[in-house]
Amino acid sequence: MIAALAAFTAEPLAPEKLFGIGPFTVTNSMLLGWITAISLIALFGAAAKASKVWPKSRLAFFVESLIDLVYGMATDTFGGDEKRARRHFPLLISLLLLILLGNLSGLLPGIDTISYHHVSLLRSWTTDLNTTLALAILSLATVHYYAVKEVGLRGYARHFFSGNLKSPLTWFIGLNEVFSEILRLITLSLRLFGVIYGGEALLFAIAALAGNFGWVATLPVILLEIFVSLIQAYLFMMLTASYIVMSTSHGESEHAGGQAARVEGTS
Amino acid sequence: MSTQIDPSLIKGLTIGLGAIGPAVGVGLIGSAVVSAVGRNPEIQGKIMTMALIMVGLVDAYFAFVLLILFTTHG
Repeated sequence: MIAALAAFTAEPLAPEKLFGIGPFTVTNSMLLGWITAISLIALFGAAAKASKVWPKSRLAFFVESLIDLVYGMATDTFGGDEKRARRHFPLLISLLLLILLGNLSGLLPGIDTISYHHVSLLRSWTTDLNTTLALAILSLATVHYYAVKEVGLRGYARHFFSGNLKSPLTWFIGLNEVFSEILRLITLSLRLFGVIYGGEALLFAIAALAGNFGWVATLPVILLEIFVSLIQAYLFMMLTASYIVMSTSHGESEHAGGQAARVEGTS
Repeated sequence: MSTQIDPSLIKGLTIGLGAIGPAVGVGLIGSAVVSAVGRNPEIQGKIMTMALIMVGLVDAYFAFVLLILFTTHG
């Protein structure tokens, strides 16, 4: 049985190249990433065209409720400040929906299984470390850009090196803070990649172990994967929002999500 | 080293030692959630939302364990 497990290989860690357009190679996860992005744009375009003051189409109704829900969550995180929530809202909802669709697309039939010469044609977009690294760089660049824009370059440096500038303790703490910021990049990307890729590898392993009953044995794991996909997409969006809040208003809402302040206020 | 390390040993040690941390972490979050809801049952929704965010943060470390487990080949 161990030999059977060892002989079975899940998808490799790095995505495989499919074809090349000139000097630019296209991998299988990039292909599904384009399909995901185009279908999301088409969905929102159709909903935008069909929405009126009293929406009659069900698609417009659903999309508007979804946007309302996410807008409520974002406004909560920003502590009720609607202007800043509205400024950052397009980034947050794009992150949420792209990551959610990318995570869930790994569970659809045909992904990772249709292969040509042992190279699978489609691979879920967020199982690619390049993708999650790019999303993390985008989020953190937005955070730092708005931090510098809000408090200026000097205030931004003082956010790390706060206190008496002559004492070495300040420099030590400051270097630790800078290292934490860089570590945020690594954990943000590796968290999403590890969870989604590990989930897919788990599905492969359970299917290999169960043999002929794979279709029943993988059902609880698929339900777990749907749950985990939702949570990781929501978490990425909420962490980005929390970092923006924490870096632009120093210490006002210290807890992640800003909801802890509300909780302590009402109890 | 003249002998190779058995990959089954690596897999066993990884899951054996690696699953302790996230399990204890999620247990601590669960106990905090239950006592918080016991103290103030009206805001159960917000507490559950925050608890799920924390579980998502802890879940990542278990994902790293799974990653090592399924990419170690012998």
